[in-house]
Amino acid sequence: MNFLRLVLFGYLALTVVYICVSLYSRSVRREKLEDRWTEAHPGSGDMVARKAYVEQGMAQYHSSLRKRLILLVYVVPTVVVGVIMYMIN
Amino acid sequence: MRNLRRAVRITLFLILGLWLHYVLPGQDVARITGTEIIRTDFTSVNRIFYAQADAGASELETRDLRLINTQRKRTYLFGLIRGGEQTMVYRNEDTGWIYPPYFKFDSSDLQAEAQDAQSTAANPEWVVITHYGWRIRWLTVFPNAVSIRPVDGPDYRPIPWFNIGFFVFLIVAGLFVRAMWRQFRERTLEPIGERVDDRIDRTSATIAERRGRVRRWLDSWKSKR
Repeated sequence: MNFLRLVLFGYLALTVVYICVSLYSRSVRREKLEDRWTEAHPGSGDMVARKAYVEQGMAQYHSSLRKRLILLVYVVPTVVVGVIMYMIN
Repeated sequence: MRNLRRAVRITLFLILGLWLHYVLPGQDVARITGTEIIRTDFTSVNRIFYAQADAGASELETRDLRLINTQRKRTYLFGLIRGGEQTMVYRNEDTGWIYPPYFKFDSSDLQAEAQDAQSTAANPEWVVITHYGWRIRWLTVFPNAVSIRPVDGPDYRPIPWFNIGFFVFLIVAGLFVRAMWRQFRERTLEPIGERVDDRIDRTSATIAERRGRVRRWLDSWKSKR
């Protein structure tokens, strides 16, 4: 029973962390794409092309390994708990 | 106001520090002199300093408590300075799946190890006892022994690898949260603020304009001199 409680609340907390980290990662990626566009087209006011460029970059991000690495948020604590259990007992 | 904020911050920092001091593992060089089991009736005051019944057992109001009696090396300043010998009694309880997260289920095995490592002052056998918690004598509170390992002699100095790693992790996590918060403020909060400011400006301009119109209409009723 205590085990189920730990699993439930533990993964609930980790889900909050996962959501925060993935939002952060997406935001950083978008900012980087916008900066890169501004650098490549200085003084350009073509918002449509800029938006297309950013959206394409974000689509690439969504299928990237980097996005999947955020799943480590779940894996690492589980492994750490396993290691602690092995070391202590 | 600033003093109040500072006081609140210091208090929170102290509570966090004390809590970490309670929960993080410490390592004592000690000589086990005996083990025993006593029946314990908890009070509401000292109950929070104890774990619960063995992982597979059910929780009742009163139960037996395993104790490990030792003579340990006294330490000051988080183990930096060593002193003479001191009597210390550890409890030996399962933390199970509950707080603090040591996931200790092997209290009985640990008790057997402790009994095996018993020695006398004439022929001492030194061990390192990893533990967490405090000894508070006037509340009958004991630190919880987590593991025992033999060492060469009383001058052995354990290095707190876990705590070093934990604080490095804490600092990295803190910096990461700060970076996340800054990104959130820059990319989400500030644009919203600008939009709100913009709207307030426009609304107040509209109100001023309307009022001007009403004023002009009222003025038109006044006699012109």
